[in-house]
Amino acid sequence: MKIRTIALLFILFGTLVLVSLMYAQNAPEASERGKEVYENSCAHCHGVEGRGDGSAAENLLPRPRDFTRGLYKIRSTETGQLPTDQDLFDIITEGMPGSSMPGWETALSANDRWEVVAYIKTFHAGFKENENPPKQITLEGKIPYSEQSVETGKELYVELGCVECHGNVGRGDGTSAPTLTDSWGFQTWPANLTQGWTFRGGFDTEDIFKRFIGGIAGSPMPAFEGDSFLNFGLTTEESKRLIELENKDEMTEAEEEESGQFYEKMDAAVDIALTIKEGGEVSADDIQTYNDAMKIVYEKSWHLTNYVKSLMPEKRPEAAIGNNVLRSQYVQGALPALDAAAWETFEAGYFPLVGQVVIEPRQFNPTIDGVHVKSFYNDTEVAFLFVWDDRTHTTGDETDETTGKPLEDALAVQFPVKVPQGPTAPKPYFLWGGRLPVYLWHWKASTPEQVTELTAKGINNAETQEAQGELQVQSTYADGQYKLWVKRALKTEDKKDLQLEPGVFVPIAFSAWDGSNGDVDTKRTMTSWYAFTLEPVPSSRRFVYPPIIAILSVGLLFGLRAFVQRRNTEDV
Amino acid sequence: MKKLSLFTICLIILIGSWVFLEFVVGGVISVPIPNSVIAMYMGLIVIAILVHISVEDSQFREFLRPIHETLVDDRRRIHRRVLVVLIPLFLLGYTYSIIAQRANPPGSPRDAHPSPPLELTYKDEVIGTMQDVVNPYRHYEKDDPEAFKAHVENGRRVYHQNCFVCHGDHLDGQGHFAPYLQPLPANFQDPGIIPNFQESFFFWRIAKGGPGLPAAGTPWDSAMPIWEDYLTEEEIWDVILFLSEYTGYQPRTFGEAH
Repeated sequence: MKIRTIALLFILFGTLVLVSLMYAQNAPEASERGKEVYENSCAHCHGVEGRGDGSAAENLLPRPRDFTRGLYKIRSTETGQLPTDQDLFDIITEGMPGSSMPGWETALSANDRWEVVAYIKTFHAGFKENENPPKQITLEGKIPYSEQSVETGKELYVELGCVECHGNVGRGDGTSAPTLTDSWGFQTWPANLTQGWTFRGGFDTEDIFKRFIGGIAGSPMPAFEGDSFLNFGLTTEESKRLIELENKDEMTEAEEEESGQFYEKMDAAVDIALTIKEGGEVSADDIQTYNDAMKIVYEKSWHLTNYVKSLMPEKRPEAAIGNNVLRSQYVQGALPALDAAAWETFEAGYFPLVGQVVIEPRQFNPTIDGVHVKSFYNDTEVAFLFVWDDRTHTTGDETDETTGKPLEDALAVQFPVKVPQGPTAPKPYFLWGGRLPVYLWHWKASTPEQVTELTAKGINNAETQEAQGELQVQSTYADGQYKLWVKRALKTEDKKDLQLEPGVFVPIAFSAWDGSNGDVDTKRTMTSWYAFTLEPVPSSRRFVYPPIIAILSVGLLFGLRAFVQRRNTEDV
Repeated sequence: MKKLSLFTICLIILIGSWVFLEFVVGGVISVPIPNSVIAMYMGLIVIAILVHISVEDSQFREFLRPIHETLVDDRRRIHRRVLVVLIPLFLLGYTYSIIAQRANPPGSPRDAHPSPPLELTYKDEVIGTMQDVVNPYRHYEKDDPEAFKAHVENGRRVYHQNCFVCHGDHLDGQGHFAPYLQPLPANFQDPGIIPNFQESFFFWRIAKGGPGLPAAGTPWDSAMPIWEDYLTEEEIWDVILFLSEYTGYQPRTFGEAH
């Protein structure tokens, strides 16, 4: 082939790649089709005019995005910038975990999704006025995950004040957590960093990093930028030194001077950052100073990202649905107490909770993700450990406006009074029974050492049992997490109680209330029926029968051979 | 190449059929087949093989030859020794795994679409017989498209204020609460749902919810609310119009050729 032909092919190929890239990154002009798809698939939440006020909006928290203000949470672009078309396309395609925004990959063709991107952009004038492409966050200088980086991130987590909203260990339980609102005045909760699967923009390392640099627009989560970042303009060592100095009760003269110098350096850097942000003229030296300072911001963000990654499991725990059963494990002797190490040794059953939307008043916006349950039993008793995250410790100091009842955190464990016999036997209605009654353990945060036994024949038809005090209870609340320990005898005298026996499958279900989320009575989170069993001690037969069968089979084989041989000789 | 013995051919047919049923039919072509059905097919195949080999005496002898040889022939001594170890070991492991298996709760047989009652009611008021009741707003589709559109739009509102958290934005039964409910919410995009039932059936299922199901539908498990407590008759009919308009599936009708 001639060189000219190769060059020509090369150019042709290059053009093709460029064209396809351009197609991938830019939405088409807004069209009738985009409007049509938007109105059929998006408007019921985001509103016909894009104001986030569709018919479903009232029942949703987080609220559907109001497109008219151009504030987009999940972007690959720097703070103050609009998202790229690709950002919008990705969110439509993948949805936003932890919210009611589903992914539209299967429901809408890629073409339709691009049309919707173009149409959404018409709601905010900024997209048209802004001719320059938005500035994207650079992912260069990524610091790989290591224990040391996690350690550095952990220090920064405290230094930068993340604790105030996200709490000591990241469960979103910081002191200011209950006070937060978004740019529209709706309540918003800081992310529970131990539950990465609820992150709206995903929980890959790069996703988390982008939220630091770009911020989450419209929410209280700030972007890490020049004029707001702690000790902007100082190196990591200088910053540490300054914090150390400021923590002293009294500074010597030399130290005063040292900190003064730090402040001068910071002020200069912040001035430059502000000038750049406002589009003013800056010298080459200033740009160098700014870039150096930003480099440290990026570095710290990577460390912080690694720390946040260290707080969460790699994926959401599998829901115990279907054949997954809560199995109580047999132990000999005393059952472990609340703080015993024995609880750590086996994996909990995870029961995801959903809002109770069957009976009014309903809870469309649950704040409790799920409850982890473990259980041990011995010859006479059974003990349970229930663990769930709740950002606030609410004990009934405030009351519900409509019912006048105290708003408090609570958990209820539900069993049938009588175990259904056989697979087709009716169970009680999963929401606190009906024609068939249920037996309940009701724990409330205001009386943390007490569980009330109830019998219920409906969600609004529960009676406190006359015989109480059969349950031993311990509970703790720390760093956004409840731990509740309950112990009961397997058999009780009370006819209204469930009687437990190893090897029997008992239906079990849960309800939970987060007082600070307005949960009271029927407004709660709940689960469907699951199964619970006291797992029988494995039968010793498993060591007897298999060897017998094996030996018999050897005998059989030899017998067969002998039989065939004898017949052979007879034949001959 | 050596000619395969009859025994090997039969073995290959048996294993091949099982792989075909379990993985090809039950994976590539369609959804997994229940074990009991596979066992039935395999039983038929075994019978067919037995018939085939026992038609003639010589055929049967030919079939038994490899077994015979393995048992007594001196040239097969190694085969024999390997098998006398492997077969008991396999049985040992198999019986152990069966005895040591953890028990699972009995599966609850559930009829997803149990038969409706003969009469359709709203609250306690009788609307008519299940077979005859039609959606009173359906005729607008031909008579007054504007009015029809208004009903569909009202149904859209009702759906998104009440249903979509479980049945999903796409009406595919995958709302954000759906994955954690048992039984799963209905998927209206499934071609087996809307076209198979009359609108009166949907009215019944919506109005009476989970608790209104007969025992075969395990009414105690379903999280479907009793919507007649919250929605008007018109709202229920409208939401049914929306379901069929959005998915493009027409509910089943009687009285016309079909």
